[in-house]
Amino acid sequence: MLTTLPKPTTYQVALPSWMPRLAFAPHNTSPRGDTLIVVFLRGAADILNMVVPHGEDAYYQLRPSLGIPRPDDSSEKKEERAIDLDGFFGFHPSMHALLDAWQSEQLAIIHACGAPDESRSHFKAMELMERGVDDERGPASGWIGRHLATLNTGNSSPLRAVGMGTRPQRSLSGTVPVSALRSIADFHLGGDPRALQQMRLALNTVYENDVLGQDTLSIMDTLETLDPLTYTAARNAKYPDSEFGLALKQTAMLIKAEVGLEVSAIDVGGWDTHFAQGSVTGLMPNLMKDLAEGLAAFHADMQDHMNQLTTVTMSEFGRRASENGSLGTDHGHGSMMMVLGGNVDGGKVHGEWPGLEEGQIMGPGDLAVTTDYRDVLSEVLVKRLNNPATNEVFPDYQAKMPNVIV
Amino acid sequence: MISRRDFLKLSTLVVTSAALSSCAPVYRRLAGDLPAVPWTPLDAHDFLALNRLTFGPRVEERARFSEISLQAYIEEQLAFDSINDFDCELQLQPFKSLGKDANELEGISNGLFEDYDRETIPDELRQATLVRQIYSKRQLYELMVEFWSDHFNIFIEKGNCFYLKTVDDREVIRKHALASFRDLVWASAHSPAMMIYLDNQANEKSAPNENYARELMELHTLGVDGGYTQQDVMELARCLTGWNVKEHFWLGDFVFKEDLHDTGTKDVLGLTIENSGIKEAEQVIEMLVTHPNTARFIATKLTRRFIADDPPQVIVEKAAQTFLQTNGDIKSVLRVILLDGLALAQPKYKRPANFVTSALRMTNTETDGAGIQDYLLRMGQTYFGWPTPDGYPDRGEPWQNNLMPRWQFVFELIRNEIKGTKNNLNSLLDVSSTDSLQDDVDSLTSLLLGAPLERLTRDKLIDSVLSAGASPEETLQIAAAGILASPAFQWR
Repeated sequence: MLTTLPKPTTYQVALPSWMPRLAFAPHNTSPRGDTLIVVFLRGAADILNMVVPHGEDAYYQLRPSLGIPRPDDSSEKKEERAIDLDGFFGFHPSMHALLDAWQSEQLAIIHACGAPDESRSHFKAMELMERGVDDERGPASGWIGRHLATLNTGNSSPLRAVGMGTRPQRSLSGTVPVSALRSIADFHLGGDPRALQQMRLALNTVYENDVLGQDTLSIMDTLETLDPLTYTAARNAKYPDSEFGLALKQTAMLIKAEVGLEVSAIDVGGWDTHFAQGSVTGLMPNLMKDLAEGLAAFHADMQDHMNQLTTVTMSEFGRRASENGSLGTDHGHGSMMMVLGGNVDGGKVHGEWPGLEEGQIMGPGDLAVTTDYRDVLSEVLVKRLNNPATNEVFPDYQAKMPNVIV
Repeated sequence: MISRRDFLKLSTLVVTSAALSSCAPVYRRLAGDLPAVPWTPLDAHDFLALNRLTFGPRVEERARFSEISLQAYIEEQLAFDSINDFDCELQLQPFKSLGKDANELEGISNGLFEDYDRETIPDELRQATLVRQIYSKRQLYELMVEFWSDHFNIFIEKGNCFYLKTVDDREVIRKHALASFRDLVWASAHSPAMMIYLDNQANEKSAPNENYARELMELHTLGVDGGYTQQDVMELARCLTGWNVKEHFWLGDFVFKEDLHDTGTKDVLGLTIENSGIKEAEQVIEMLVTHPNTARFIATKLTRRFIADDPPQVIVEKAAQTFLQTNGDIKSVLRVILLDGLALAQPKYKRPANFVTSALRMTNTETDGAGIQDYLLRMGQTYFGWPTPDGYPDRGEPWQNNLMPRWQFVFELIRNEIKGTKNNLNSLLDVSSTDSLQDDVDSLTSLLLGAPLERLTRDKLIDSVLSAGASPEETLQIAAAGILASPAFQWR
């Protein structure tokens, strides 16, 4: 049937005029520094059971069931006690894989570290932390996004910043395009090669003036040559068979392939342990094991690159110092960060320890914050990423260097 | 009442489905629904409005919209009870678990000597959700179901939510989606799936758990800056002690366990609450659902969903006022937002589910809802798959930059490579076919994007595909995939 359509008066362009365009004019120009890996523990990790203050009596009073036995508590099996780090703090036994990095002084811990926000709301706290702001009034972009936007490293790679997972983390959002990557292997179009070639040409046309689309097309080409299934890590490093392990492994692959990766953001979920979190074994110990074994594998695999790598872990806040009646912990305040890399003042627990005694804890019974997370990140920005613009990355915040970097 | 026409359809369908294997989902639509005229041209604004009122307008919806105009179309959709949805109900026949109660659902999934089957019931709910979004003529109602499913988010993989969500979907979300907000919150608070998802079954006098109490205020009613304090959260948690889920006899039903309840006096948001068992939290809920901050919070979220990521304040104010004046009548609030707000609507980036449904509906695709689910996963939005209680993000930013799975989907959709899914683009195109590839692509683009492509882009698109050795039919097919993959189709 032949029909004549009314002749249109307006035309749809492939790229509508209201789509956001890039406004990208960084004022600092500098060669790129380290590759930054940011690991975010989603759900507020119970850091008091990760890096245990075994020298603190109050810890054991507040956590009669969940507390991790002292390193010298001979009434408990050795493998169920905390692993001493400095006479006062100790690793949870599930974190033992990180001992190598600790002993080689490439792993630093900043305890009682966190954000000023006291909402104890995951979403608000995560949002503010990823934006790097004090409250809603700050810029909507993410702190990593602003880092990328304020530093021209002459790197136009579509893989300059990658969010591991199905969508880019809020911290990455900003004027510089970033990519989400669930799996390197997923990143191709499959099917009949002839149709594929036609589709590829069609995509080229409709995305001709679209930066994100062009990026995606070039990522497609880059990643065709990489396969995580056949990847061999250096030093027999074994990444855990988990989403986190895969994300770290693929980060290692992208770094070694020299495709211009400057930032990799990785999420690890499941830390909102209100209920039956487990003390020595169980839910949360399994999460810690995955985290520690992943970071340890990455540390071993990337030994030859350690001088150009900085890895940080963070979480939106800590959990209540006392356990709740469901053998879990409720939302708290002070958290903990770890920094792993070749230029870290490692083998040390940094920061002022506020204590857990009555009068030392704050709010409904939470660890206080003595180091702002932005202090740690600012030092990494300045000393390792060649970006002096900390005032723009963290607006209205005057950073104090905690001397975590050598 | 079943009309003669429906009856004839039904009998045809029964014959057809009997011919298929008994477990094969019924997804074949019956012929005769497509108008024998090409799609009604719409101006840019009407096209945008109709995209907001549907999961991607079908040809017949375009025609209806043009025929009766915006205001009448909205009223018709708001009166969803009067819309005959027989076709959609037929498509849902295979999903036997949808109407069952918790006890029955537990029985179905309990393998006795084997592990629980944690797949079948959630799979049916996910498929049914997609099928409803695709086939239901009550599009605005289904959009509200989607909205409240985000607002009262439940992660289906947590504990027994895998079967309890089916009950929550039916008895909480779908029952109240276009009715009273107060009833909706009330039902959600008494929903076993919500109790389990937010740990209230672990909230006891001797061991309070704040999780649900917090989200009830932060995410369901007042909003994060709604004026409550940490102390209010702890006090409301005490009121909610004992709100629980039955573990024996009528297992999976709501129960108030008196012995777990904290009988002390509480103080929530300045209100002193004397010991009165289950009535304590119910009293707080009544206060929360009529609170001006709740009105504002809900008005803001609805305006963001239907009008713009940055909701125009004038619409939010008016919607919030209507909310307060009507005691949270959802239809009245939505009517204000649509009638006054659509004129101010800004393009919104399609979330994955909306991208998928719009591609399926606008190409008149038949689907059983199963094969599509894996694509949604790769795009980052499975139904009931968001782990945290804030629901899938509504704003566009988090969804951009993940183009690859969208491209994969349209490529495989157009080539009919998705299991249980068949696009009828050819029959659509037959209707409007001309001798000119250019005219055909123009026609296709006005179907999918609302207006033809810019001439230069169109010709370049055609030439590039032809140059790779495609026949004219293949060219039209790949052009369709290219248009669905294009930047413009990612927005609605």
